[in-house]
Amino acid sequence: MKIGVYVCECGSNIADTVDTEEVADSVKLLPNVAVSRVYKYKCSDPGQELIRQDIEEFGLDKVVVAACSPSMHEPTFRAVLEDKGLNPYCLEMVNIREQCSWVHADKDKGTDKAVSLVKGAVMRSELMEPLDRKKVGVISKALVIGGGIAGIQAALDIANSGFQVTLVEKKSTIGGKMAQLDKTFPTLDCSQCILSPKMVDVGRHPNITLYANSEVKQVDGYIGNFKVKIKRNPRYVIEDKCTLCDDCVPVCPVIVHDEYNENLSPRKAIYIANPQAVPASYIINPDNCLGIEPLICSKCRDVCGPEAIDFDMREEIIEDEFGAIVVATGYETYPIENIGEYGYGTIQDVISGLEFERILAANGPTAGLVRRPSDGRIPQTVIFIHCAGSRDPAKNLSYCSKICCMYATKHALQYKHHVHSGLAVNFYIDIRTGGKDYEEFYKRAAEEENVIFIRGKVSEVLQDGDRILIKGVNTLTAETIEMHADMVVLATGIQPSEGTKEISNLLKLSRDMSGFVKEAHPKLKPVETSISGVYIAGTVSGPKDIPDVVSHAGRAAIRSINILAQKELEVEATIAKVNDVLCRGCGMCVDSCPYGAIELKAIDRYGYTFEIADVNAAVCKGCGTCAATCLNGAIDQLGYTDSQILSLIKALADE
Amino acid sequence: MVDQKELINAVKETVSREDVRYIVGYEEGTYGFETAPSFAYTSDDARKFIFNPLCTKNLVVYPILEEKLPLKREEQEDDRKIGIVVKGCDSRALVQILQEKGLKRENLVLIGIPCTGVVNTKKIKDKFPNQTEYTDVKEEKNHYVFSIEESVQKIPKKELLADVCKECEYPNPVIFDILIGEETEVETEPTYIEVREFEEKSLSEKWEYWKKHFENCIRCYACREACPLCYCKTCMADFLDPQWIRRSVDLSENTAWNIMRAFHLAGRCVSCGECERACPAEIPLMKLNKVLEKEIRELYDYTAGLDPEEKTLFGTFNPDDPEEFIM
Repeated sequence: MKIGVYVCECGSNIADTVDTEEVADSVKLLPNVAVSRVYKYKCSDPGQELIRQDIEEFGLDKVVVAACSPSMHEPTFRAVLEDKGLNPYCLEMVNIREQCSWVHADKDKGTDKAVSLVKGAVMRSELMEPLDRKKVGVISKALVIGGGIAGIQAALDIANSGFQVTLVEKKSTIGGKMAQLDKTFPTLDCSQCILSPKMVDVGRHPNITLYANSEVKQVDGYIGNFKVKIKRNPRYVIEDKCTLCDDCVPVCPVIVHDEYNENLSPRKAIYIANPQAVPASYIINPDNCLGIEPLICSKCRDVCGPEAIDFDMREEIIEDEFGAIVVATGYETYPIENIGEYGYGTIQDVISGLEFERILAANGPTAGLVRRPSDGRIPQTVIFIHCAGSRDPAKNLSYCSKICCMYATKHALQYKHHVHSGLAVNFYIDIRTGGKDYEEFYKRAAEEENVIFIRGKVSEVLQDGDRILIKGVNTLTAETIEMHADMVVLATGIQPSEGTKEISNLLKLSRDMSGFVKEAHPKLKPVETSISGVYIAGTVSGPKDIPDVVSHAGRAAIRSINILAQKELEVEATIAKVNDVLCRGCGMCVDSCPYGAIELKAIDRYGYTFEIADVNAAVCKGCGTCAATCLNGAIDQLGYTDSQILSLIKALADE
Repeated sequence: MVDQKELINAVKETVSREDVRYIVGYEEGTYGFETAPSFAYTSDDARKFIFNPLCTKNLVVYPILEEKLPLKREEQEDDRKIGIVVKGCDSRALVQILQEKGLKRENLVLIGIPCTGVVNTKKIKDKFPNQTEYTDVKEEKNHYVFSIEESVQKIPKKELLADVCKECEYPNPVIFDILIGEETEVETEPTYIEVREFEEKSLSEKWEYWKKHFENCIRCYACREACPLCYCKTCMADFLDPQWIRRSVDLSENTAWNIMRAFHLAGRCVSCGECERACPAEIPLMKLNKVLEKEIRELYDYTAGLDPEEKTLFGTFNPDDPEEFIM
């Protein structure tokens, strides 16, 4: 065996704190080291060329590069080895920059440490073996879970690239929260008007299969080959037959709260969420309807001309396969009844941001007139309280919900547009206007349209006759404030939706402390997750405004297309390997694997059937959890075997 | 006290079943205060079965260590059930093994014995050093009664009770098919007093304590052989490549072995005390096990060997785990 050792100076980055010559000399006498050199920039073209020449001249079979983090240049040097016909896994990188020169000041000690690290690497490299990357086929279809703006955008982007997409939405229509908004900041354009063309596109796109009123129930498999079970809940109205004539609604005797209008108006048991709904069909809610088991009432069926109503419809399980999955399960509003001092739920005219959005909307409960819920009067003073639930680590959400400053400002402005003589007062902690034209929008509200902004916290909201009394403090002047209002709108914070929790459990996605899905890297891999082939779009990973959601979803689509466009995928070779003889089939590795990459398989041994662990190479990420869990060392991680690590430790302990 | 007749009848009845291969229980030993494992293949064999406070051994080791000879062509595996006489702690070891898929519940018949604690045989031997004949012990209220050379001696229970039984939370079998007699009332909740006192000591005091004990270790691996949960096909201590523990018997390697043994039982040990009982060098192994048991209870609110359907502690991956102890 012949090992080549290369110590990089990284200009002065390494050389200032580590005597690179001494490091290179220290390993020269180790057995099997054929050559040991120092170079100023090993990653430069001439630096790489030097390794190529040495491989040829000395016939090297292992290469050790002591330089920066392998996350920077491991691919660079692996390619060098591949150029010369060596297996890329015969490279060992030693991080003497981030983990040595950058964190130490004393050159002697820094050099000692670098010498130890490089010696360890040389010892380890002796035991390294060539590894093969396996290949798996790809099913060129994508699944998008969640039909809000994020899911819609991702589905359209994938479909427009020529790939088949299945979009699954839990509710009766796609559109999500954006379909409930009246106008969007900072342009004040109508939310439905910009959203509904996209919804219609989804509905009629030849590459998109839409399952509304459906849920993803099971996901197995791995990148390129996910096997998914989707439950289609019965709609009781045949989508293709429904002509949206509305004849069924007047005859329906059941009246319940309308969720689309945040329960501020009534609907019937048979209904359509909103006129722009996609799929464009009425739906019967079986919890409300009197016609479904037992059949007590069938008035809607009797009047339905096209005979679209079918009380005997049953749920259906659809099984399909996909190459990539986009999770766009979104957010829900924070339950503001938790904030006792704001009186939500006990004082009728204290409402949430989303409720105010519906009150402003022309197709809302008040037909677009700003009326308060208690008595329908037009409020003359409205107070908007920012950060309702957000930025309150002691009792509520610890994080900033990002969109509330802007939508509360928008609400105040819209209120002023509806009620010119009205007084709009905003209580805020800070105004955060990070976004294009957001600061201008805020300035316009404050300076041109007489919206009042008070920096301060509201401590109590009380009913006072038919008005509302607010107690608080102005934190700029340190004065306490008491004022009356006719209505209070809480700029409600946002949190991960139930769907986000369910789907992330189903897919084993990691979540952060707040419950949002964790990105694979917060900056450079914002749509990737801990599971290969599963991407996230929109607020599923944290609060975002609409433009951010749309661009986020676009990247999720691109990353999915990256998978779908390939015939087969190469998977990482540093994966877990089971020693069949040692494995006793206890299954602890199966349970502890974060990626569901291990299963027990039955084998025949001496006539007996045993179960032993079996690693799916396509799913394994090489995290090593199973190897650490296995009590009798029956699992080794290729590229980081116990023997290799032990030889490294021995070299380090030798000092 | 367990009714001997009831036990024997239960064993007779069970071993006569067609789907039962044999039953392992206790019989009188051949020397002093030692009982021996007894295997009943026929109802006749059941006559030898006993249960008394000398029945310390955890018999769960037997079915799992049973060697399976290669089957000849066309030969069918004998899948008849194996019966085991289990105390509370023994049954917990079995639950742990079931969780780890080492045995299948449908292949077992469990004759459960509500336990009132077993004796520390080393302490009895100190009291009666010349006793060579097998001698029975009976439990009467808070005393153990010995009939030696026609004289009857009573010794208070707490003087002879095994340490591990003093804070036993589960004297009754947590799983069983047949229960002999009435369930024992559970009196104690673990206080971990000994562990807490030990934790107060300084690092160097702790090391001195363990150094003294580990230096005595002869690496006979009796602790491993007696433990019902040390049943890997090949123990990591026996690996040659990589060689985790060198063959030499010295402080360094002895320490490595004892710590490895304890760690491999973290979240699995059921406090039956067999390791410590088996140790000829009198190393207080349960002290190591108890520290881990306490840590795991505090960190994860987890107790080993209670529910066969539960996942093992190490086999738990929870995406909601905030990992506060790492960050």
